Amino acid sequence: MMPNLIIDNKKIRVAKGTRVIDAAESAGIYIPRFCYFAELGAVGACRVCAVKFIDGPVEGIRMSCMVEAEDGMVVATDDAEAVDFRRHVIEWMMMNHPHDCPVCDEGGHCLLQDLTVAGGHGIRRFAGKKRTYADQYLGPLISHEENRCIQCYRCSRFYQEYCGYTDLGVMGIAQRIYFGRYKDGVLENPFSGNLIDLCPTGVYTDKPSRYTGRRWDFERTTGVCTTCGLGCSIMVSARYRQVVRLEAAFSRAVNGAFICDRGRYGFSWVNSENRPRQGRVAAKAMAPQKAAAAAAGRLDSLAEQYGAGAIAVAGSGRSSLETLAAWMDLCRRRSWRGFFFDDLAAAPAAPAAVSGLSPENVVSMKAVESADMILAVGADPLGEAPMLALAMRQAWRAGAKVFAIDSRDLEWPFEFQQVVAEPHEIVDLLSGIEPENEIGGNAGKHAGKMAAIQDQIRHSRFPVILCGTAIVDQSTALAAAGLVKRLRKNKKDTRLFYTLPKANTFGGLLLDHRVQPPDELIHAMESGEIKALVAVESDLWQNCTDRDLLERALNGLEFLCAADCMATELVSRADIVIPVSSVYEAGGIYVNQEARAQWSAPAHAGGTPVRITGAGGHPPRVIGSAIPGGDMPGAWQAAWQIAGLAPPAGPGEMLEWMTKTYPVTAPVKTMAAQGVRIFPLQ
Amino acid sequence: MHPRVLLKNRKSGRIATIDEYRQSGGYQALENAFVKNDPPPGDIRETLLEARLLGRGGAGFPIGKKMSTVPDNAPHPRYLVCNADEMEPGTFKDRVLIHADPHQLIEGIVLAARAIEAEIAVIFIRREYENAARILEREIQVALGAGLAGKNILGSGHDCELVVHRSAGRYICGEGTALTNALEGKRANPRRPPPYPTTSGLWQRPTEVQNVETLCCVPHVISNGAPWFRSLALTENGAGTKVFSVSGRVNHPGCFELPMGIRLSELIEEHAGGMVPGSRFKACMPGGASTRLMPGSMYHLRLDYSEMEKNGYRLGTGAIMVFDHKTCLVQAAANLMTFFVRESCGWCTPCREGLPYILDLLKRIEAGQGRAEYIEMIRKMCGHMKYSYCAFAPGAVAPVQALIEDFHAEVTDHIENQGCPFKNRQSGENDAESHY
Repeated sequence: MMPNLIIDNKKIRVAKGTRVIDAAESAGIYIPRFCYFAELGAVGACRVCAVKFIDGPVEGIRMSCMVEAEDGMVVATDDAEAVDFRRHVIEWMMMNHPHDCPVCDEGGHCLLQDLTVAGGHGIRRFAGKKRTYADQYLGPLISHEENRCIQCYRCSRFYQEYCGYTDLGVMGIAQRIYFGRYKDGVLENPFSGNLIDLCPTGVYTDKPSRYTGRRWDFERTTGVCTTCGLGCSIMVSARYRQVVRLEAAFSRAVNGAFICDRGRYGFSWVNSENRPRQGRVAAKAMAPQKAAAAAAGRLDSLAEQYGAGAIAVAGSGRSSLETLAAWMDLCRRRSWRGFFFDDLAAAPAAPAAVSGLSPENVVSMKAVESADMILAVGADPLGEAPMLALAMRQAWRAGAKVFAIDSRDLEWPFEFQQVVAEPHEIVDLLSGIEPENEIGGNAGKHAGKMAAIQDQIRHSRFPVILCGTAIVDQSTALAAAGLVKRLRKNKKDTRLFYTLPKANTFGGLLLDHRVQPPDELIHAMESGEIKALVAVESDLWQNCTDRDLLERALNGLEFLCAADCMATELVSRADIVIPVSSVYEAGGIYVNQEARAQWSAPAHAGGTPVRITGAGGHPPRVIGSAIPGGDMPGAWQAAWQIAGLAPPAGPGEMLEWMTKTYPVTAPVKTMAAQGVRIFPLQ
Repeated sequence: MHPRVLLKNRKSGRIATIDEYRQSGGYQALENAFVKNDPPPGDIRETLLEARLLGRGGAGFPIGKKMSTVPDNAPHPRYLVCNADEMEPGTFKDRVLIHADPHQLIEGIVLAARAIEAEIAVIFIRREYENAARILEREIQVALGAGLAGKNILGSGHDCELVVHRSAGRYICGEGTALTNALEGKRANPRRPPPYPTTSGLWQRPTEVQNVETLCCVPHVISNGAPWFRSLALTENGAGTKVFSVSGRVNHPGCFELPMGIRLSELIEEHAGGMVPGSRFKACMPGGASTRLMPGSMYHLRLDYSEMEKNGYRLGTGAIMVFDHKTCLVQAAANLMTFFVRESCGWCTPCREGLPYILDLLKRIEAGQGRAEYIEMIRKMCGHMKYSYCAFAPGAVAPVQALIEDFHAEVTDHIENQGCPFKNRQSGENDAESHY
């Protein structure tokens, strides 16, 4: 039954369990709030969401966050008494809050500032002194200004309840209440950056981007985090052709309202001084197009000399779907050898992970929060895909039991039971789990614990099987899918969640499921089979465990070309460098580990960053019609340049080309804001 | 002379022993309830309800009614918490009750636990009551030795484990739900029902929180029956006796057990020795610091929950603080408010920030810096306290509300003459900002 209620004379119908504050918002009526935050729940601490219930099951002035919508409710948000009370709440908060909005670094994107102005509190009546606090050092990423605190408890609730870490919280009572750590120190919580987004005022601010500009100075765009395979939504802020900071963007399907610190702060490479921004042939700088043309010439002559099979392209899962498609197609047309999967550890299991998912068994990260039983095999979310650990914690908080089968010493921010088993044992253990019979297979010394897992699965309503790809092989990934299949056959709504190493590992395997492992490439280079290598956004060097071998292999090459936006080792060793624009400049489609293709929009135009030196000169120094350094191609465009052809004219044409050339990608044409799921064609 | 029930074994300088308590009829109700199952738990609840025994901790909620909200099929273990965190300013009856007759409380706890079939009873005691805590710990051992508590009470197969827990020490811990959080090791912030503690309290188990005095009444109600208990009161709707803590400008301040419904005038004149020489009654706090000031016009009011409520007052804990005609009520209100400002748990904005605001205004008025608009500001803010998270802030402003309504002239006198009419103060003596 969906309750019908009236708020400010508007008839509203909402889902059962919707809070009045959210019901109002769904109808475009914004009720002020400080402590209320959907993900953290309602606690009724700040009292600023007071509204008047005129008729229905509840009457009088109540906090709209604490009351669930019910049939027949009549609510007035503009009742005089409620408005006066809310005005007082703001006045009380402002008793101790600094009056420095015009020069405060939070000014302009401060909820407290907005609601103070909106609430009509402009004149200070309180004549007493302000309470002041000492600020703390919380590490290199977050600034602490406790004097600004209005005690909404969002930070302590997020930190301790939502994340499960205890080194930041609330101390003291009454007006001496203090939010911080027991003593100065780096925050231990790997999700602590969310305090910045959560704080309704400027107690916690982003330290690296402090004083780099006002919110309205930035070019702001939602994008996809490319740090791991989860594809969390991020808000990119850019200024002067540089990324200033990343924040969490809301995604109902993937990450909810938060992101991890690794994603938030993992963008320094894009602003690196060493980032390739100019084409380079040998030691000579030139325009990217010219460098590409020179590379094309070398590749042509080498192909003539040694045959097309002596030329290889190395790509990676950090490239966009467009880039991977463009370069894969180039290899196909030229009969060059393509190595687009550069993660040695995940090479065995990842293809099985992609083929194991189906529209029936797939589950979004947000939905993992509603699981009532989670079994993680060979997966360490906190290390491999941090936000997943946070989703698992929410499931655990709601009562889910969590189990792990892993050989490693796991530390997760919630309780779980671990079966300590070597990776090669896991297949047997998984295949022994039966929906109906006694525990079978070869559980051996783990029989007791495995029986408990089986029992828990049987008694669960919505179990999720998590499977990593870093330490286990193909057979484990298949066994996880097999288990899910058995349980589903037995009418148990079981879901499957794999972790994958890179932002577009899934996308790369969608385009070509035949993984050419990177060690094959290295051996082929070393043996002299491959004479020329084009490294396109390749992490071959970072991922390689045998650097000596790779060094020998690279030295054996006649020609190394690197097309990258990152200052990698291969770029510094390359004979020809083609600088390409980053995801923040070119945008791109990324397919996360649950098959969800999402468009990451470009945040700013590519080009040389504008530097304000303070020396008296005013940018731009050079007057011209084009952006200085703005001639970097997108990584996908470089594929056409290397082929000596004109690339598709723009992103639209590129999409046309890609969906035609790779029919599996067709769903991206109808991609909504939440992305679209793409499964391999059967 | 009025009959004494709870304090009949009170002795000068020592507690009543278990033998003395037994001689006065003690532990008879417990024996019957456990050995003969007479009365069974359901009847205990019923009798308490019929007796109209109201919670003596301040709220005056019927104990029988509260007990009946524990569902029959509620899970175990269930908890009974004896609230001995007596921190309401002016209140000291619980301490006197424990020091006078500890076994009366122990029997009351075990019987009340029986009524809701609770296996664990916790005495949450104020840390300043170290002597009382030690008395209880010692006497609990005595009761355990006599088989009157602990495992398998008197061979009945029923248990009631008794735990004495010393509070970490905050006023808000006396609030039932904050007390629950404190016992769980959390911050002592109140919890907002639902769920109610009687269905989901300590560690999500049914938990009944009762005041010391209430629990002390229980054995007497069970032994002598509901009609007897009701007949103790002087009013039609009242029941039992009340232990009043009297302080202030009277000749003999102290603890007096008197029938419910006794007149304030009789309490002061007959039992507390009257006003000190040269003092005239001006006002009193009828039930601790979080109740409305009662002016002289209420001097003959009957002290009984319903009688007082009819007149807009609360009996609260029955702590009567008497002010004479020489006392400045603005200063008294500011003094009380200083306490509440310090003791706010800090959870919600009106209480945490609004009370200090009101205190600041009161101090300014008292210091001769008052402005006419302050009265309206105070009135509005006090009125808004009813929208705070728990009952703390509305209680904290009750004396102030009475001040600006019933003693308006005194407040305006401060403002118009820019100073306290009760003092011939040197300037700078009472800086409005130097309190916190």
